[in-house]
Amino acid sequence: MKKVLIVDDAAFMRAAIKTILERNGFEVVGEAENGAIGVRKYQELRPDIVTMDITMPEMTGLEALKHIRSFDPDAKVIMITAMGQEHLVKEAILSGAKSFIVKPFKEEHVVQTLKKL
Amino acid sequence: MSDQFLGDQMLDMFIFETAQLLEQLEACILDAEKDGAYSRDAINEIFRIMHTLKGSSAMMRYDDISSLAHSIEDLFYFLREENPGIIEYSELTDLVLAGVDFVKSQIGKIKSGSAAEGDASKLIADNREFLAKLKGSNPAKQGADTEKKGPDPGEQEPDTEKQNGTSDRKYANTFRAVIRFQEGCEMENIRAFGVIHNLEDVAGEIRHVPEDIMAPEAAEIIKRDGFTIRFRTDCSYVDIHQLLMQTIFLKELELEQVNEADAVQAVNEDRPADYRPSDHRADRTDEHNAQNVSRDHTSHQNIISVPVARLDKLMDLMGEFVIAEAMVIQNPDLDGMELSNFQKAAQRLDKITKEIQDMVMSIRMVPLAATFQKMKRIVRDMCRKLHKEANLVIVGEETEVDKNIIEHISDPLVHLVRNALDHGIESAQERLAAGKDKCGTITLEAKSAGSDVLIIVRDDGRGLDREKILKKAKEKGMLYKPESEMTDKEIFNLVLLPSFSTKDDVTEFSGRGVGMDVVVKNIEAIGGSVLIDSKPNEGTSITMKIPLTLAIIDGMNIKVGKAIFTLPTISIMESFRPKAGDAFTDPEGNEMIMVRGKCYPVLRLNRYYSIPAGITEFTEGIMIMVEHDERTLCIFADELLGQQQIVVKSLPEYIRRFGKVKGLAGCTLLGDGNISLILDIGGLIYGREA
Repeated sequence: MKKVLIVDDAAFMRAAIKTILERNGFEVVGEAENGAIGVRKYQELRPDIVTMDITMPEMTGLEALKHIRSFDPDAKVIMITAMGQEHLVKEAILSGAKSFIVKPFKEEHVVQTLKKL
Repeated sequence: MSDQFLGDQMLDMFIFETAQLLEQLEACILDAEKDGAYSRDAINEIFRIMHTLKGSSAMMRYDDISSLAHSIEDLFYFLREENPGIIEYSELTDLVLAGVDFVKSQIGKIKSGSAAEGDASKLIADNREFLAKLKGSNPAKQGADTEKKGPDPGEQEPDTEKQNGTSDRKYANTFRAVIRFQEGCEMENIRAFGVIHNLEDVAGEIRHVPEDIMAPEAAEIIKRDGFTIRFRTDCSYVDIHQLLMQTIFLKELELEQVNEADAVQAVNEDRPADYRPSDHRADRTDEHNAQNVSRDHTSHQNIISVPVARLDKLMDLMGEFVIAEAMVIQNPDLDGMELSNFQKAAQRLDKITKEIQDMVMSIRMVPLAATFQKMKRIVRDMCRKLHKEANLVIVGEETEVDKNIIEHISDPLVHLVRNALDHGIESAQERLAAGKDKCGTITLEAKSAGSDVLIIVRDDGRGLDREKILKKAKEKGMLYKPESEMTDKEIFNLVLLPSFSTKDDVTEFSGRGVGMDVVVKNIEAIGGSVLIDSKPNEGTSITMKIPLTLAIIDGMNIKVGKAIFTLPTISIMESFRPKAGDAFTDPEGNEMIMVRGKCYPVLRLNRYYSIPAGITEFTEGIMIMVEHDERTLCIFADELLGQQQIVVKSLPEYIRRFGKVKGLAGCTLLGDGNISLILDIGGLIYGREA
């Protein structure tokens, strides 16, 4: 079972992603409410996949992505984004994000994206 | 919302988190406004809150909330990125607060289960207009706009750079690929960018249509016509095919190896004739997953939320329990028996009962903080509309009261704060002329006093006009005793009577004289009282005295003839057996009693309620001195029966319908099955005066 770390500042979003993943055969090993905690939890938990919100306090998803990739170039990070953040997503892809999911997402989108990694 | 793949649980979470965000947002805005400017942190925070709100509400398919949040997010994005310097902060604040209100009302509707139909288009338009104005007044920085409105000037598409840099290298094969993405995957242009990013590792001379991936219409074109790429590589057809098939959300892939000479032309042919972008969201498919929610979502919380109805039920049961306990311990069958073990067990039961009861009460206790914080917004809005200046000072917001009480004091509090601002606080000029700070102060204070909570609304405004109130009261025939005998306090409290208003002009905020008596009614409904004090030019303070708990009180049972009454212990000052010479009558024939050199009115319960038997000689009965709102009364009864906890039950409807029952707050069931009437001290005191 693939281990997933969910990084999002909105508890609602974390719960939504978690609900979807858990009933589709993923194991959610951790949740983090900002980028800094996300990076720390990544080191601690070494998940197979990270879902990373872009807009977060303390440390944005983009910075967290760069941090994670700096010590684990194989890290599989999927950005969670919203319409209007095209430039940030582009930067994320240049920084090594594997793919991205656009809010509001549908269950199948999330599952498909994570399964294809 | 029934078709939502995220179930009720998610809805609750959404409502909860949104409410939290809104509170955070409001506090943030009001702080910023107080400081006169939005700090970097504040702008970031508001941006983030709006961004989160946009995402969550879109997930729950509340599109109105989502687009509104989006429009505010855009505003703050602009502020964050452009730092436009001087802007109309108050207008910005108004816009955001209007947005907050809209979302609040929507959430309210969602909460109550009704359809969240509200139209945010006006608000969204306002936000856009304001943003346009901001941009207009900062033309120098207009170039970089918001992130989705085109690439930064000077930014090169990385693929073009790559292309230039590697143009001298010779590749073996040339391919042309058309990629189509699944519907509804969104940001097709960025997905296309991801494809190119992956290709760059193995290929060169990459050209694509649409050319400018970051252009606003690119996503639409890709959605409609697919994404066409031509590139050169050393990889084989199979390798490239495999690589492109890995694309997430890939719906269709056409891949062909092309003849070098045709290649450039081919790409040009692929360019669609018209670039007219259509509305981004118009054709978004609306199919969605209606799977049932599996309830395997485990939460790790230390706090649980419980429906208030259950707490109310628990409270009722607690009341029954207290009565049942009294019925056992004070059972008439036990009279005259020596039961030391039973007494011990009974004491223990009594102790535990009290503990449970305290716990049940404490579960229902909620701090006043949230209620008080709401007033900040009211003060702000009113100050703007009335062109006055005032600060709100909050004291003791951590004081806890029963949840029921919170609901009952919200409206009165709003009313009192409004009154204070509208009638109390003067305009800045007036204040300066009177030698005061031009900014007024409204203090909201809560504190516990015995078994009561005092909530005080105080202003440092002009104070109540004694003469004006008297004049008005006389006109309306509201004076209950000669003018010369009335104390200032009594005169001020006339304002609390129904239909009293001295404000000549009616404003939007403080109504038409239906205000204060509604406040009084609300507070009295929960067993509280309202007191006014005021000094000319120094201000007015209005105190709401509210009992901490409603249902179970300590009571003193007294006997008059065969009837039993209960007095709330808290209002008893002392009880004593009068001496023969202390009683006398005043010229109007009212009985008075002299205690330590002071005179107090006497109320004989047997006469008041026409109870036939009972002691009539003062020296044989007992006098109980009670106090309410700083007024004192001596109640004369036959004897004291003892103190116990009693559960307050309201009088049955058919008795209340008589409307003649004076001075009774309710009734209670005693341990021996008798019914005792609970005396309403306030009612007795005022009933005598009126």
